Amino acid sequence: MPIKFKFRPFLTVVFCLAFQIFFLRDISIGSYAFCFIYLWPIVKAPLDVPPILFVIFAFILGWFVDIFYNTHGMHAAACLVIAFLRPSLINVLTPANGYDDRSNISLKEMSWLWYLPFVFIILLTHHLILFLLEASDTSLLWMSLFRSIFSAVLGLLVFLTFELFDKKEFV
Amino acid sequence: MLQLFQFLLRQKTLLLFVLLEVLSLWSVFTYNDYQHTWYFNTSNQWAARILSDVEAVKTYHQLRLVNDTLASENAQLRNQIYQLRAQVQPKGEIPYFTSKASMNNYQATMAKVIVQSTALTQNYITIDKGSQDGIRAGMAVISSTGVVGKVMSCTANLSLVISVLNTNNSISAKIKSNGELGYVKWAGIQPEVVDLLDISKYKKVVRGDTVVTSDYNAVFPPNVPIGIVAQVGLKKDGNFHDVKLMLGTNFSTLKYVYIIKNALAWQQVKLNESIPKAD
Repeated sequence: MPIKFKFRPFLTVVFCLAFQIFFLRDISIGSYAFCFIYLWPIVKAPLDVPPILFVIFAFILGWFVDIFYNTHGMHAAACLVIAFLRPSLINVLTPANGYDDRSNISLKEMSWLWYLPFVFIILLTHHLILFLLEASDTSLLWMSLFRSIFSAVLGLLVFLTFELFDKKEFV
Repeated sequence: MLQLFQFLLRQKTLLLFVLLEVLSLWSVFTYNDYQHTWYFNTSNQWAARILSDVEAVKTYHQLRLVNDTLASENAQLRNQIYQLRAQVQPKGEIPYFTSKASMNNYQATMAKVIVQSTALTQNYITIDKGSQDGIRAGMAVISSTGVVGKVMSCTANLSLVISVLNTNNSISAKIKSNGELGYVKWAGIQPEVVDLLDISKYKKVVRGDTVVTSDYNAVFPPNVPIGIVAQVGLKKDGNFHDVKLMLGTNFSTLKYVYIIKNALAWQQVKLNESIPKAD
């Protein structure tokens, strides 16, 4: 399948990455809720993107964030897992008869009951892997779990806000 | 053979996923503090340059605060000059000869903070001096208000510092008023508070006590302030005090640090090696 270069998604990825690295790097709410805006492209990627390219993209995205976070591979590992599991998750959530004509993930086209669990599961999986790897200490287990849950809720709220402004199609 | 290839081709996504996952986890778990310089972090040249540009903008907005810190430090130094002048011994008494080497033992280098974080459980700081400026792994990093961390790895012009706000970092400490020894470690949550551990419950600790680095410290010079005792309790096991310190260094506004080179460190290490070992 030929891959056409499109300007808009490229810009979105760059913007999300830059915002994450420069502004959100050291910001948290009560040191429990962190916002990982750079996951937006992974959540919103079109459904027909080849899985192998998607895995490579997620790895590069995560590795980029790792460089600026001094986390040497943790973000990449977490991103890879959600990128790999995303097609299966979409299959599980989608009813057998529906959504054949869909090519995008968006709140407007899908029901709340589809969109919310999808984003929440993706964010929670990513945050659990990330925070458990980062803590690397059993005494911080509960703190990591709380951090993951609070961050996933915060991420969900932020992404829902994005959806409100998403007039045009993402891709 | 053909079937094998077909199988591999069908599972190419899974294979690539496993390969990259192993690569990134390998990078997480083999990352070793002093072993080698690692380029995939903020001591990387271009990553640091981008971040330092952003930091420059932020610094501009904090100039007033930085000025205040510098002014108060000037005042402190001035006070110390007066104190030292007052301590000069009158002539005629038997003097204590300090060797020139141990007088120049600790040498400070100033550096600017380019990248910092306080929100993670393992925080690092990147500074704008590197091996070309004489910085080496293992040197102490302090600010005008207290300890900051120690140098972990250097590139030519930049260094990565493992912060006190890192759950893998601990510092030998003592209570200034009575000299009780313990060590300081961060619990991983609040960036203003660290724990002082290993203080027996039979020793006296009072709220407001100053805690400084101990004399038996391979990295830090003695008597560098760490923080002030904010809360004293008892550990669950009942043998030790549970002491919380308010850090002297404000990590969220940290802009300038001193790297302290201990010129006699290698001699100290050599002497320690010559201690006969009991068989």
